[in-house]
Amino acid sequence: MSALLALWDASLALAGSTIAALVILLIARLIGGRRGDNRDRIRQQLTRVLLTGETEPGGSSRLHAEIAADLTAELAELVRGSDRERFLRNAEALGVTTALRRRLRSATAQDRLTAAEALALFPGDTGREAAIALDDRNPDVRLGAALALAQNHIAPPAAELVRKLGLGTREQSMLVISLMRDLVETDPRGVEAMLYDEELPDAAKLAATDALAASGMVENAPLVAWMAGAAKHQTELQPRIYRALGRIGHPGGRDAILEGLGSPEWQVRSAAAEAAGKVGLTEAVGPLAEALGDAHWWVRFRSGEALAKLGRTGRDRLGELARNGSPLAREAASATLAERKLA
Amino acid sequence: MSHVYPDWATDWMLHAAAAIAFVVIATGLAQTFFNILQLLFAAAALSTRPPIPRSATLWRRYSDQAPSISLLAPAFNEELTIVESIRSLLSLQYPDFEVLVINDGSRDGTLARVIAEFGLERVERFVDNSVEHAPIRGFYASDALPRLLVIDKENGGKADALNAGINACRTSLFCAIDADSILEADALLRVVRPFVDEPHLTIAAGGTIRIANGCKVDSGRIVDVALPTNFLALVQIMEYLRAFLMARLALGKMQVLTVISGAFGLFRRQRVVEVGGYSHGTVGEDMELVLKLHRHMRDLKLPYRIEFIAEPVCWTECPESLKVLGRQRSRWQRGALECFAKHRDMLFNPKYGRIGFIGFGQILLVDVIGPLVEVLGYLLLPLLWALGLLALPWLLAFLAVTFTFGVFVSAATLILEEIQLRRFPRAYELAILTLIAVLENFGYRQLSNLWRLQGWWQFLRKQQGWGAMTRKGFGSAG
Repeated sequence: MSALLALWDASLALAGSTIAALVILLIARLIGGRRGDNRDRIRQQLTRVLLTGETEPGGSSRLHAEIAADLTAELAELVRGSDRERFLRNAEALGVTTALRRRLRSATAQDRLTAAEALALFPGDTGREAAIALDDRNPDVRLGAALALAQNHIAPPAAELVRKLGLGTREQSMLVISLMRDLVETDPRGVEAMLYDEELPDAAKLAATDALAASGMVENAPLVAWMAGAAKHQTELQPRIYRALGRIGHPGGRDAILEGLGSPEWQVRSAAAEAAGKVGLTEAVGPLAEALGDAHWWVRFRSGEALAKLGRTGRDRLGELARNGSPLAREAASATLAERKLA
Repeated sequence: MSHVYPDWATDWMLHAAAAIAFVVIATGLAQTFFNILQLLFAAAALSTRPPIPRSATLWRRYSDQAPSISLLAPAFNEELTIVESIRSLLSLQYPDFEVLVINDGSRDGTLARVIAEFGLERVERFVDNSVEHAPIRGFYASDALPRLLVIDKENGGKADALNAGINACRTSLFCAIDADSILEADALLRVVRPFVDEPHLTIAAGGTIRIANGCKVDSGRIVDVALPTNFLALVQIMEYLRAFLMARLALGKMQVLTVISGAFGLFRRQRVVEVGGYSHGTVGEDMELVLKLHRHMRDLKLPYRIEFIAEPVCWTECPESLKVLGRQRSRWQRGALECFAKHRDMLFNPKYGRIGFIGFGQILLVDVIGPLVEVLGYLLLPLLWALGLLALPWLLAFLAVTFTFGVFVSAATLILEEIQLRRFPRAYELAILTLIAVLENFGYRQLSNLWRLQGWWQFLRKQQGWGAMTRKGFGSAG
C-alpha cells in the first residue's frame, strides 16, 4: 500500500511543483513587464543624455548606471570620431565604467564579455582595464576581450596574448586571424617575432603571416619564404598556406605553388591551382592543364578557373583540351569555357 | 466484478499481466529517467552556452573570417510562395553566401515564376558529380543577382534535390533549408559559430525550428511572434519546444545528436560528400545523413563535433488539420525506423561509443519501442483491470504519474525557454501553453501514438512516398 501512496505522492509533488513554478514564472513575467516599462523610460532618457550630454532630472541610481552601461555596450560602436569621445565622456559621467568594472566580475560569461568589449572602447587606462578579461575562465570571454582590445589598439604584446589565449593550441578559432590583423597595426614586430618562436604551433604562425602580409607593414619575402618552407610539410595546414600564398601574390611563392600542384593530397593540389590562378603564374599552364584531368572535381574546377585567369595562353589551352583532352579534361575544359562565356 | 477462470488460465493471465506490466513500467521508467537527464543537460547547455555577441558585433567579427555558405533550398510545386521565399533568403545578414534554389521537377509554374520575377537567363555551370541525383535540365542566373542560382532538375524528391545542390555548390559549407521556411536574418551568422570557433572539429550544426502559425509575417520576416488559435498548431508549439529546447539541446551537449532538421542544418560539404550525400529511398534523409556522418567519423577514428545551437531560429508552418498532421507524423515515425533499421549495427556497439549507447539507445527507447509500449499500455492496462488482474487504484496511480510527469517536462521546457530565450512577448501566452501542456495528454497524446503506430505499419510494409503536405502559406498566417 505504501508503494501506491508513493505513486500518488509523486504525482502530487510533480503537479504541485509544476503549478508553483509556472505561477512564479507568470508573476515574474508580469513584474518584469512592469519593471521593463520603467527601464524603457529610463533608457529613453539616458540615450538622450549619452548622445547629447544634456542632464535631465531622473536620478543617478545604480539602476541608471546599469542601464547606461547596457546602452554604452549597444551604441558606442555605432558612433565614430569626436562623437564617440563625447559619448564615452557622457557615459563615464553616468557611472558606466564603474558598472562595467563590476560586470567584469559577474558570474555570467555573457556579462563579462559585454563588459570587456564595452570597457575596451574607453580611452587610456580605463580601456586597458578590460585586459583583466584576458585571464577569464571562459575561453570565449578571453578571445572576445583580446579582439576588443586589439581593435582599439590597446592590446598587450602579441607574445603575451599567445600565451594567455593558447593560440594555435587551446584556441583554434578562425577569429585569431582577425585578432592578428588588428595586432599587426600596433605591434607588427611582435607579430613577426611569432614566426621565429619555435614553440609556437604552425596554425598561430600562419595566422600571423597572413596578417603581416595583408598589412604590407613588413617585408613580404621572409614571410613567403616561411610559408614556402611550411608548405613542404604534409600537415592539415598545407591548403591554407597555399591559399595565403595566392592572396599575397609574391613571386617568391612560385616554386612552392608549382610543387603543390603535384601533391598527393587533392586538397593541396586544389589550393595550389587556386593560388596559381590568383598569382597569374603562367609557368603553371602545363601542370594546370594536366590537373584538368585530375580524379578529384575540386582540382579540375580550380585548375579550369586558374587557366581561365591566365590570359590568352590559359584560355587557348582550355580550348585545346576541350577538343582533344582526356574525357575528364574535355568535360572540365568545355564547362569552364561555357560558364565563363569564353567558348 | 468477479470472474471464474480455470487455475491454469488464471496463472497464465497473471504471468502475462506481470510481464506486460513489467515491460510497460520498465520502458516508462527508462523514458522518465532519460527525460530527466535531458532536462538537466539542456539546462546545463543553456547555462554554459558561449556568450553571444550582439548581431552588430557578430557581423564585425565574422565579416572577415566567416566561411562562405551555399544555401540549398529544394522547391517542389511552390509557385505561390517561392518568390517571397527567395527574396527573404537573399536578404539574410551574412558576409558571403549563395542561394541555390533547386526546382525538383515542379509540375506547376514554380520555375517560370522565378525566372520571370528575377529576370534570370539560362547559364552553364561546371558541377561536381560526387553524389547521385536525377538529371539536371538547366541552370538559371542573372548578373544583377550574383547570389542566386536556380537549378532545374527532374523530379527525384527532397534528398535528390539536395544532392544536386551539393554537387553544384562551391563552398566548404552548405546549409540545407526548406524553401517555404523563414530564417531569421542573423540565423546564418549564429549557426556558423561552431565552424568558426572550432573549424578543425565541427562537421555539422543545426538550429531551432519554431512554429510560425499565428505569427505576423511581413516581406518574408516574422515581425510579431504570437500564438495561433488552432489547437493542433498550439500543441505542436509545445512539441517543438520539447524537441528542440530539451531533447536536441541536451543531445547536442552530450555530443550524441542523431538528427538535424531538414528545414535548417549547416554541414561541411566535404564530409557529406564522403558519405555519399543524402540517401535516396528513405523519408528520414535528414536523420540518416547525421547517422552516416557519425558512422563515418567514428570509422575514420577522427575527432569531430555535431552541434545544436538554440539561438538561430528557422520558422516553419505546421499542419492544422488532423489528416495532414497524421500523415506527417506517421512519415516521421517511418523515417526514424528506416534509419534505425539501416544502422542497427551501431546500437550498443562499443565501436561507436556514446552514439551507439546513448544516441541509438534514445532512438530505440523513444522512436522504436516508445509508441508500441505506450499503446500497449493504453490497451492492456484497462483490459487487465476489466479482467480483475489489475487493481483500479494502481491503474489510476500509474496514469496520474504518467500524465503529471508529461506536464512537468513540458513546463520545465517552458521555464527553460522563458529564462534563456524568451521569444513569447506576452505573459498570457505562457499561460495558454501551460494549459495546452495539460490538455495534450487527454486525446492528442493517444492520437499521436496511433499515428506513430501507423508509421510502424508503413515501415513494415516498406511503403514509400511522402504524401501531400498541404500548407496555407505565410501570406495568410497571422
